[in-house]
Amino acid sequence: MPGIEHLLEALTPLNIMLALAGVIAGTVIGSLPGLTATMAVAVLVPITFTMAPASALILMGAIYTGAIYGGAYAAILLNTPGTPSAIATTFDGFPMAKRGDGDLAVTLACLASVAGGLVGAVFLLILAPPLASVALAFGPVEYFWLAVFGLTLISALSEGNLLKGLIGACFGLLLSCVGIAEISADVRFNFGSQTLLGGIETVTALIGLYCVPVLIDLVATPDKHLKVTHEPRGFRLREALRISWKGKFNLARSSVIGTLVGILPGAGGSIAGLVAYSEARRSSNRTEHFGHGEPEGVQATESANNATVGGGFIPTLVLGIPGTPPDAVILGALLIQGVRTGPNLFADEGSIVYTFIYGLFLATILMLPAGLVIGRYAYKTIVTVPKAMLVPTVAFMTMIGTFAIRNNVSDVVIMIVLGVIGWVLNRFGFSPSPIVLGLILGSIAEQGFVQAWTIGAATDDLAAMFFGRPISLAIIALILLALFYPLVRARWLGRRRKVNAD
Amino acid sequence: MPTDSDAKQRPRDVPGMLMAVVFIFVAAFALWDTTNMADSDSYVFPSAVAIAMIVFSIALIVWNLIYPSGSNGETMPGASTPRRVALVAAMLISTALMPYLGFLISGVAAFAAIMLIAMYDPWTRYRKIVYPLVCVGVVVGFYTMFAKVLLVPLPAGLLFE
Amino acid sequence: MKLKQFAAIALAMMIPTYSALAEYPDKPISYIIPFGPGGESDITARHQQPFFKEKFGQDVVISYKPGGGGAVGWAQLNSIKGDGYTIMGTNLPHIIVKPLQKDVGFKTDDITNVYMFHYTPDALVVTKDSPFKTLQDLIDYAKENPGKLTLSGSGKGTANHLAQIRFDGMAGVKSTYVSFKGTGKAVAAVLGDQVKASWGYTSVGAKHSEQVRLLAVAMEARHPKFPDVPTFKELGFDLVSGAYRGIAVPKSTPEAVRVKLSQMIGEINADPEFRKRMENDGMALLDVDYAGMGAFMEEMKAVYGKAAREAGIIK
Repeated sequence: MPGIEHLLEALTPLNIMLALAGVIAGTVIGSLPGLTATMAVAVLVPITFTMAPASALILMGAIYTGAIYGGAYAAILLNTPGTPSAIATTFDGFPMAKRGDGDLAVTLACLASVAGGLVGAVFLLILAPPLASVALAFGPVEYFWLAVFGLTLISALSEGNLLKGLIGACFGLLLSCVGIAEISADVRFNFGSQTLLGGIETVTALIGLYCVPVLIDLVATPDKHLKVTHEPRGFRLREALRISWKGKFNLARSSVIGTLVGILPGAGGSIAGLVAYSEARRSSNRTEHFGHGEPEGVQATESANNATVGGGFIPTLVLGIPGTPPDAVILGALLIQGVRTGPNLFADEGSIVYTFIYGLFLATILMLPAGLVIGRYAYKTIVTVPKAMLVPTVAFMTMIGTFAIRNNVSDVVIMIVLGVIGWVLNRFGFSPSPIVLGLILGSIAEQGFVQAWTIGAATDDLAAMFFGRPISLAIIALILLALFYPLVRARWLGRRRKVNAD
Repeated sequence: MPTDSDAKQRPRDVPGMLMAVVFIFVAAFALWDTTNMADSDSYVFPSAVAIAMIVFSIALIVWNLIYPSGSNGETMPGASTPRRVALVAAMLISTALMPYLGFLISGVAAFAAIMLIAMYDPWTRYRKIVYPLVCVGVVVGFYTMFAKVLLVPLPAGLLFE
Repeated sequence: MKLKQFAAIALAMMIPTYSALAEYPDKPISYIIPFGPGGESDITARHQQPFFKEKFGQDVVISYKPGGGGAVGWAQLNSIKGDGYTIMGTNLPHIIVKPLQKDVGFKTDDITNVYMFHYTPDALVVTKDSPFKTLQDLIDYAKENPGKLTLSGSGKGTANHLAQIRFDGMAGVKSTYVSFKGTGKAVAAVLGDQVKASWGYTSVGAKHSEQVRLLAVAMEARHPKFPDVPTFKELGFDLVSGAYRGIAVPKSTPEAVRVKLSQMIGEINADPEFRKRMENDGMALLDVDYAGMGAFMEEMKAVYGKAAREAGIIK
């Protein structure tokens, strides 16, 4: 195992403490809608100046890992993804909670996250440099097609109504164009308003479109928020372990998908969970249950999104190009400490990197007990607290959290307005997921498109640019598969049923 | 695939179609706004998306006319609309007042208002004491965490500046 | 006796006014970066942070107000209390070019800069194994293949873009600029051979020293970290530019505080350890203090205004 001599360095009492504290803090922060891992890591940067680089990295990495996992709580219990990577967790997590299996879902999420995190860290340890070159091969065109793929996926996943999903995705794409365009430094769609100049933040839209409608409906009736049919049965650990073992292929495959997709800077984090979920649904023999509280769904997304932690560090450490926003902060902290990233980081400054990777393993493993305990308390709290306490607390949290993203009161207003729009759309059968994903992927899609167009026009080769590159073709094939597979399968199954009936 | 006999039974998805019409207007509005964008790079993408949106919306309406498949919107019987409106109003008003009254005051006000809106249980003596305490406790707790630990510049309000 | 008493009282009354200034700063200063964390503006601020503490005994609390490429932060600058305890990072050419394009919520003259402490000089970046070994190779290629030379850069209407336009004009070539969101992505594009070269900064050369080469830098003299890289001036092109970073305060900040802040930042800038760290990261230092700011900004407005007009970014 490469760098095994640094394993011991990672296991010093200080580092263990940092990893544990980081994971706990990260989980709590990630579970609060509005708080992001980026924020938490950014605040800690000055403290890390006084630490050794490896220890600082371990702390920040632990927080990041914990936060990605923590996003599952709000997704499962409040139908609000705590982080964009938890969007797909809401598909099956919330239905599970509504029918009384919330504690099982939370435990499953913990186990899956640990599994995914470990796989991601393994790839980081062994395959970082070669995988980084794969990331470089993804140019603007590939990113454009990748964004289209993500949007097609989410539309296909929208409860059977592909067209509504596509319309929602387009709406999200338009929302992403509000504000100053990166592509041309032009100001768009702000109708002269100062407020909209900065565009619509992802997390603002996430909370607005998911959480606020939930709150609006919570106040409307006196019914309990989540069904609790029996006494809280502890962790339901044994049951969760059994399900996890049964789903081990699912976990493995989803973790690998998560790591590989997470390597792509920018797009990776948000769509990794989706790709894994879609694949899990496609290859499962319980396809019809997906979307209605199928444990396999939660496992797929949670393992994939924690795998993106390890995956995202690959371009960050090898190329110096951050995979996700928290990676950008961590990279900044490293640069100030004088650590040079690059392929030689693994050779020259090997001690820092390898100590850090082993520390990441450590933090992920520590997430198991920490996550289970915190998860149990989170579940108990949400289930037992009366509505009159729950609703104002969550509402308040969303307001302060949204403000803290950009220190801007207008963001809170945007969130509330989006919340009302989201609630109305829900009533009419339009799910928020395509809209949010459109918002997230919008800038990636647009930039990829315009950049590819510019390069293609310069080299007089537009068609070849968009349709001639091997990776793009592979992605386009996946898009067509996602669009037409359900139809083909339904027809095939229908034919089989007819044959059997005859 | 829905068969013809199924189609006649199920109602048309009127809410969905209505929404599709709304979206067509939204897309048209977006298209109109792109006309005052100078750089060609700026409007290429939004126009393409707006046009796609119109196409999909029309497709939705047409599909529903041919294969009505019922609405998939969620409805909640017995839901209280005044409370819903009050919740949104409470959040909006307290946000609007935040720069003037400061974060702590508007936060407590918002919390208290929403608490009352979400209150369905009778007011026992226990609740009358504990709930207001929780209200202040939560608001102050989060304020401390954000302002002191995470160092977020929360509005202090004109009274305190 | 009476005179002595009078003098004593008079002195005692003056002390509060002087001490108020002498004691500044007596509580932590809030340093707002109008971009997200992890970017270059963040890194330069982080470099300054420990020196603030060391020299003046007060913490500097860095917070972020991203949005609109900086516009959101700058538009809100003057609504912040001007007591000297809130400062904001500023960037050129952003604050000059952006308000000229459209109504972005502030005008260049709304920004009260107290110090311009650094600039990352523009540099032409290629990969280590690029066929372009010298600047002339690049120019020759561009002359033979008009429009086919693709160069990445961060944003439009930014230092990178303006450098590309000005250089094209000076060299008499036509190249194609591909805009990316952020220097990181622009560098990834050239590393992945999506484009042939990149208009970046010397800091890119420092950060990715094992993977890229610089063909030329837009400075008056060669950069200490890259002694083998010629300046554009040496090669016959009068291109001295880059992204500038400075610190501004709200308009309502009193004159005395502005001067004091300017002195403080100047002191940090003069610190040899600070200079060493910044230069190590490929950045160049600049010393325009409050007194010289007026003339500096006028010059910059003229230069960048003209460049932006030529680029067609503003009408």
